Amino acid sequence: MLAGPLLEIENVNVFYGDAQAVWDVSFHVDRQKITALLGANGAGKSTLLNAISGVAHPSRGKILFAGNSLVKLRPEKVAAMGISHVPEGRRLFSRLTVLENLELGAYLPSTRPLMKESLERALKLFPVLKERKGQKAGSLSGGEQQMLAIARALMARPILLMLDEPSLGLAPLVVKTLFEIIRVLNRDGVTILLVEQNVHKTLEIADYGYVLKTGMLQMEGRAGDLLSNADFQHAFLGMMG
Amino acid sequence: MVVSKKASFSVVLILLVFFLIYPLVVDAEASYLVYFFYLTFVYVVLAQGWNLVAGYTGQVSLGQHAFFGVGSYITAITWNAGWTGYLDPLGMLMSGAGAAFLAIIVGIPLLAKLRGDYFALGTLGLGEILRVVCINGGSLTGGALGIGIDSSGYQSMRPYYFIALLVAVMTLLFLWLVMRSNLGLALMAIREDETAAAANGIATLKYKIFAFAAGAFVTGLCGSLNAYYIFHLHPAGVFSLNWAITPILMTILGGAGTFWGPILGAFVLAGVFELANIWMPELHPIFSGAFIILVTLFMPDGIMSFITGHKQRILQKLSPFNWLVRKT
Amino acid sequence: MTGFPSFAIFFQVFINGILLGCMYGVAAIGLSLIFGSMQIIFIAQGAVMILAAYCIYWMFTWTSIDPFFGFLVILPIFLAFGWVIYVGFFQRVAKAGKNPSLLLAFGLMVLLEHLMALAWTPNTRTVSTSYAALGLDVMGINISFTRLMVSFVTIIATGAVFLFLKKTMLGKAVRGVSEDTRAAALLGISPSRVSAATFAIGMALGGVGGVATSITYPFDPYFGFLFSLKALIAVAFGGLGSVEGALLGGIILGVLESLSSYTISAGWADAIAYAAFLLILIFRPEGLFGRSVEKA
Repeated sequence: MLAGPLLEIENVNVFYGDAQAVWDVSFHVDRQKITALLGANGAGKSTLLNAISGVAHPSRGKILFAGNSLVKLRPEKVAAMGISHVPEGRRLFSRLTVLENLELGAYLPSTRPLMKESLERALKLFPVLKERKGQKAGSLSGGEQQMLAIARALMARPILLMLDEPSLGLAPLVVKTLFEIIRVLNRDGVTILLVEQNVHKTLEIADYGYVLKTGMLQMEGRAGDLLSNADFQHAFLGMMG
Repeated sequence: MVVSKKASFSVVLILLVFFLIYPLVVDAEASYLVYFFYLTFVYVVLAQGWNLVAGYTGQVSLGQHAFFGVGSYITAITWNAGWTGYLDPLGMLMSGAGAAFLAIIVGIPLLAKLRGDYFALGTLGLGEILRVVCINGGSLTGGALGIGIDSSGYQSMRPYYFIALLVAVMTLLFLWLVMRSNLGLALMAIREDETAAAANGIATLKYKIFAFAAGAFVTGLCGSLNAYYIFHLHPAGVFSLNWAITPILMTILGGAGTFWGPILGAFVLAGVFELANIWMPELHPIFSGAFIILVTLFMPDGIMSFITGHKQRILQKLSPFNWLVRKT
Repeated sequence: MTGFPSFAIFFQVFINGILLGCMYGVAAIGLSLIFGSMQIIFIAQGAVMILAAYCIYWMFTWTSIDPFFGFLVILPIFLAFGWVIYVGFFQRVAKAGKNPSLLLAFGLMVLLEHLMALAWTPNTRTVSTSYAALGLDVMGINISFTRLMVSFVTIIATGAVFLFLKKTMLGKAVRGVSEDTRAAALLGISPSRVSAATFAIGMALGGVGGVATSITYPFDPYFGFLFSLKALIAVAFGGLGSVEGALLGGIILGVLESLSSYTISAGWADAIAYAAFLLILIFRPEGLFGRSVEKA
């Protein structure tokens, strides 16, 4: 068992064109823990995930995954290293069926031979997908689509699973189920980096949290400590949904 | 590379003086350069016409050849009918106006209903339809054999040269003034994000039609001049897709959405084509094709961006045929 | 053209239209695939077809190999050719937006056409097989044997592409990448590899179309551009993103042309095709089988 954090972000700065979205942010993700990135809209959380998965490139700073640098790698290469990123808005292949979406999740040569097994596991974890196997992904409800997006990401047997606002637009009951599943996944050994606006629910399952505001790291701490922190409560008044 | 305003102004002035004097000091009939400049001036106008619609307003038109051909035919028909004469400004204006009128009629349904790439394809179809119509137009359009006009009036190359130069200068002036006005800002806003522009109160349809009609007008003028030059029009010739494609190539090569790009592109590409034609006539089109490929590979954003070092991000917006409105 | 054409003649015209349409369809499928993957109209598709036609011509002239067997040679060659062209040229400009790719396609078309004209003269060629004049008599309608074979090959080719897209992992990846490139990349699918494969298949389909062209029409180096345009119209009719749609669009176009040509004249057939093209774009841009697309 290797020591040290799984993912290390050091002094990362990210620009979109001329606009700076992330200012000198550093944090790390520990193995087999659930780490949360919290903050309001536009705080730079998604940008950080994009920088990690290779969709965006940091102009400065280091991103290390198990000691290997991820900077300047193309997204498909990052995925091959064991990181699955479920982007904001899910981005399913809506014209393809549920099954086809899942199959494409196991496209990588390292995971393709395990496809049958991975499919069984995915359908067991998300039984609702089993019923809708042959349906076009676009015809699923919001909650089902989110399940599919996560299931698809799992098909690649990732070491690190990054979720960008999975609860967005979903009914509270669905969110409850979702977070339960995330907890189960973590128990099965998947390290999770969770970006969310739903602060309360997130801190219920997270181990550690980082708070971002307008692209900068504001505070960090263990989930319980954050919840009882007065400044934290003040900042997120009204977001404790 | 930053060039001071004063320096670029002087350069322009010197060039203008050169262009004005050159045909007067050489034998215009024998001079190849006079012909070459005449051709290039026409291409500059055609390129800027497309640049206005596509480069600045973001509406990619593949049907400029329709307006060119229509301009040619109007000139020939009015001359044969006795309404206009040789190198008659009225003939040219009627051609331009006719082309602009056509643009408005066709533009209203196309621009109102079709976004970006569908619009492009619609204009492509337009040119082809007009060509067939002229072929089947009976005695009015002379059918497949085309129309002939009286060539006895031809005296010298000089009038063509100067008319082309005049049209080019006026087109450039017009473009310069428009792009520096609020009208120009509106056009560019439409190119960047049409929905946002409309939401901000810009009457997008009106402006799009303006750009489309203005581009058609100058293209029609060129068609008219062309009719006066070749004296016999064939539908295949004046409606040739080359009249649409070459100006587009020139503009993109030079830098779409810039002022100098199409001018540069016109001179460079016309130069390349003509040089290739002179040095290796059998291989010329091959060389030209290879040239296009090479420039595209190494200067994908056009020559202007290569010179100024400024990536022309607007090229992303010009994605013709990007039928899926996809956000990355 | 007075009076109502008899039913037999009408049917004959109709059948001819379908057979013609199959040829347009083959070109259209390649175009549609490449478009879905690279978002450009590969305007050189017609030129590629003609290149294949020349290959068939020379094979036939020198070795008397029947075009339908020559086709088996053409397929792998054009697959490889497509891969090389994509990796060598289009991959480099993929990130610079669509215009450079468009220009590349255009440059390629010009280059190909003129290279062929230089190498093999602009003279028209025909491939006259021993069975070229053969016709089948079905219920009073004369069906050209060659055209019938071509149609079969086209339908088989369409079926093959369809199966590829639906059943193979690469095929699914092609569909995925064409819908959402970034999402595919996040799953570890390399968009450039998939695009290269798609392009190669598009070229191979061009090869199939070329075989068909060589035995159906007299051709010259510049004949391909017309096919590119017709393929474009076929794709517009059938809708984007649909392989079946491209073939059906081609058939509709073929029938439309055949009918117009018979009832009015060959000249007007073109105009009508383009007019229909415009109408479809205005009133149903997604074509008859495509997905709904944002309009103005």
